[in-house]
Amino acid sequence: MDTKVLHKGEIFERVYTNEPSLDIRIIQEAGSRVKIGVLNIRSSAANRIVVEQQGEGCETEIYALAYLCENQNVTTETHVTHAVGGGISNQLIKFVLDDRAHGRFIGDLKINPDAQKTEAHQTNRNLVLSEFAEMRTQPQLEIYADDVKATHGAGTGQLDESALFYMQQRGIGKQQARLLLVNAFMREVLDALSLDSVDGIIKEE
Amino acid sequence: MHSLTIMYMTKLLEIRNLHASIGGKEILKGVDLVINEGEVHAVMGPNGAGKSTLSAVLTGNPAYEVTEGEVLLRGEDLLAMEPEVRARAGVFLSFQYPVEIPGVSMTNFMRTAVNEKRAYEGLEPLSPKEFLSLMREKKKMLELPDKLNNRSVNEGFSGGEKKKNEIFQMAMLSPRLAILDETDSGLDIDALRIVAEGVNRLKTPENAAIVITHYQRLLDYIVPDFVHVLADGRIVKTGDKTLALELEKNGYESIA
Repeated sequence: MDTKVLHKGEIFERVYTNEPSLDIRIIQEAGSRVKIGVLNIRSSAANRIVVEQQGEGCETEIYALAYLCENQNVTTETHVTHAVGGGISNQLIKFVLDDRAHGRFIGDLKINPDAQKTEAHQTNRNLVLSEFAEMRTQPQLEIYADDVKATHGAGTGQLDESALFYMQQRGIGKQQARLLLVNAFMREVLDALSLDSVDGIIKEE
Repeated sequence: MHSLTIMYMTKLLEIRNLHASIGGKEILKGVDLVINEGEVHAVMGPNGAGKSTLSAVLTGNPAYEVTEGEVLLRGEDLLAMEPEVRARAGVFLSFQYPVEIPGVSMTNFMRTAVNEKRAYEGLEPLSPKEFLSLMREKKKMLELPDKLNNRSVNEGFSGGEKKKNEIFQMAMLSPRLAILDETDSGLDIDALRIVAEGVNRLKTPENAAIVITHYQRLLDYIVPDFVHVLADGRIVKTGDKTLALELEKNGYESIA
């Protein structure tokens, strides 16, 4: 595991694209900021991201997007710990799964008793495009402080058939309509990372 | 002097003995209807008569199954076409419940739709400038705000805005056959007037409209050439616009 210590007020921003094995641990001292993007586009991977907020007033943002087809398989694990108070963490994890792809998200969020006034959000959304694709989600929240704001949500769904039909009724071909919907689903992560587009994200037919 | 005028009525849509079901339940039980270019047909009827099923079947909604009959659009087999091909061939549905599509902007959506239709007609795509000026012109007609361009399709629109947005899309696509499914539902009188004026302004001698409605009110603004009463999956009566007034007064029970 690659461990990195962010000193007071330091900023660390990085987007990891198609790394087959990502294993990082970041220790945040007071007022430091972390923004991590993890993109897995048509390639299998195991990702483990460990962030510990050990100083007050830290910010952590984690955005992950996996777009998988064939037999590809991605597991993304996040472990975010708020050891002290006044910190913010924000996680958005999305999977798009086609063919026989497998996705797995393990989201471990811990707010220690001393971490009052923490704000922590974890969201996992998945789009399953094939009946043979599979998603497993295991969020785990441990909150030991009482004066915190924490939210988490997880949801897995398919393309909205009524939206597909609506677009077809306007003359947009079914394949094009699917692309528009899949791109719309992924947009949120790409926008958060200020990326216009990512190579290989559009499925050629 | 004696002159003889021959009127050629060009058939736009011909529905013959159309039967359709959903989930094994038969809803349409033999609909016959001919629509010529330039005509406006109102289809009225009680809830559950099959009005929305008719619009769904004509546009190829996969939830419905056609079990018998045929539909010809300018002589071509409409039912054999994919939904998007029907749309490009000029069939437009103003949805009773327009669908919200988060993350897909109105501009992107509309540009794709317009250019797919142009490609079908063998035309070049519009340049960004031409497209935006067309958007601006049509939006003004429907009194829709400019900010709509950057918003996701129908997302967060009020009921009235959604219906105006349907007619706006109709204006952008200039269909040969427009089907307005309960376009009046949920509209206040001002929105109703704007929507109806939009529809009227889009009327040409070559296109036609099917106006599906439960109430006579909309027909004060969009005056039909024919009024059909759909009851229990069949057209049970056809008349002119006075039939709508009669229905309003006496109810559907007087007919069915």
